[in-house]
Amino acid sequence: MIYIIDHNDSFTHNVVHQFSLYDEVECDNYNAISDSKLKKASVIIFSPGPGNPKNYPSSSKIYKKFKGKKKIIGICLGFQQILFCEGAKIVEQKKIYHGFQSNIQVVNNKSLFKKGKKFKVGRYHSLKLKEPFQIRNFEITMRCLESKAAMAFENKKDKIYGFQFHPESFLTINGNLLIKKILSA
Amino acid sequence: MNKQNQLAEIHHSGKPYIIYKSKKGFNLFTNFSKKIILNNKNIKSFLKKKYKNKTKNTDLFIGFFGYEILNNLINIRIPKQKNIGFPKGIFYKPEKIINLSNDLKYSSSKIFLNSEFKININKNSYKKIFDKFKKKIKSGETYQIKICTKYKTKSKIDPLDFFSRLSKTNLAPEAFMIKDNNYSIISCSPENLITKKGSLITTKPIAGTVKKNKKMNKTKALYYFKKNLKETKEHNMIVDMERNDLSRICKVGSVKLSRAKVVEEYKDLFHYVSLIKGKIKKNINNIDIIKAMMPGGSVIGCPKLSTLNLLNKQEKENRNIYTGSFGYIKFNGDMRFNIIIRSILNFKNFSEISVASGVVVDSNSNHEFNENYIKAKALIDLFK
Repeated sequence: MIYIIDHNDSFTHNVVHQFSLYDEVECDNYNAISDSKLKKASVIIFSPGPGNPKNYPSSSKIYKKFKGKKKIIGICLGFQQILFCEGAKIVEQKKIYHGFQSNIQVVNNKSLFKKGKKFKVGRYHSLKLKEPFQIRNFEITMRCLESKAAMAFENKKDKIYGFQFHPESFLTINGNLLIKKILSA
Repeated sequence: MNKQNQLAEIHHSGKPYIIYKSKKGFNLFTNFSKKIILNNKNIKSFLKKKYKNKTKNTDLFIGFFGYEILNNLINIRIPKQKNIGFPKGIFYKPEKIINLSNDLKYSSSKIFLNSEFKININKNSYKKIFDKFKKKIKSGETYQIKICTKYKTKSKIDPLDFFSRLSKTNLAPEAFMIKDNNYSIISCSPENLITKKGSLITTKPIAGTVKKNKKMNKTKALYYFKKNLKETKEHNMIVDMERNDLSRICKVGSVKLSRAKVVEEYKDLFHYVSLIKGKIKKNINNIDIIKAMMPGGSVIGCPKLSTLNLLNKQEKENRNIYTGSFGYIKFNGDMRFNIIIRSILNFKNFSEISVASGVVVDSNSNHEFNENYIKAKALIDLFK
């Protein structure tokens, strides 16, 4: 079972439908999380959402508790949430991407995806990862072709994955394939 | 007796009636056997009620949900606001439906009275709100938010006179009018929020408007929208949000963007429109559908909950009907609802018109303030 933690977003149910193509999905609001569902889940997903990772201490707690024990995936705010828990700084960016379709590229040969491969993706983020960023086992695997901002990370050892863009958006081409590959990793 | 005379006769009889745009013309609903004034206590039982008789064309409730009750329904509280005491929602059970043509022939012998319209937020305070919300976008609390301004005047009008004149200049696909004893609503809403037949549900958000003129035809309008990054981004956001809202109540894999970003032509303007479809899951009730879809996202901003909270903290005056929904629920579960925009509410000898336009990161305060005025002007001009 996949357990999606919803941060009050207007895109979370697109995520629910996307992941439901591959497994049973449960979804609860971040302030109404069930311990038994957390225990039962094989994958935990941190949804997109408004605001800053520091606004969601309960999600940080869940991440720290289950890191290395279950597969964890973060999308948009969820991507930032995981990096924030690992000590990264999440900062405002000059150019803001809301409802924006960008070209991104796989930039790392440690990725599940082939280095050099390009994707068209939908973005909805005000904040971004502050770089340089270096944490053991975490690799930045995709970047925006234009701004070079970090668009995905992978941690193969602990099976932790994050996307700054929205694989569930209609603006993302072949988003389902991305999810399928991450889930079967 | 011909149908247009019938309209005038019903109007002059003083009994309440409702007109709603249909495919071929208008439907007139009257002879109301029940009138339900909604509040936070009775709305749930109203929406959960099941009916035995469901075959007659009058087996339905028609009316509106105001903005406040739709917030309350999804557990969003609105702080104390200036309030004119207008009901939060009203639904009627009609016993008679009459089909009317698009040409509503009616002219009033009465002269209407009004004074100057006054706006509730001037340009300076608008800019302050605008700058505050822009900061909220930069910090990620909202991605898009619509600032609402309200025009008000003392008035005494004949609603059918206004509605028939309005539908001559702007035959909007979701136009409606309500005339009751103590209030009336006149609307040329273009936007359908819910059309549900059996298990099939569709929503048709509008995001993007451009004025028609000699230089602007349909092809050029499409080019304008595609080239205009701000319009495109706003529209994309609404499409993903509406997909999300449908996904709450629809079967996995059934939510499809069936028409993406097309231009629709109206008398004076072009709209940038998408159509999203889905198949309703089992065990979903009317109340689940209303809660998932309302208030309609395209007129609020995104993400819906945090944006509603930002708006409600900011706004000092009750929105009443504005950005609520008007439409009907049939006893068999089918429904049609619009989003209440481009509307005049007449109550207690006052007329009010609310409008809103969007703040995204690259919008401009002056432009949006004027855009609000342009949207209100078509309705304000009716008072001349």
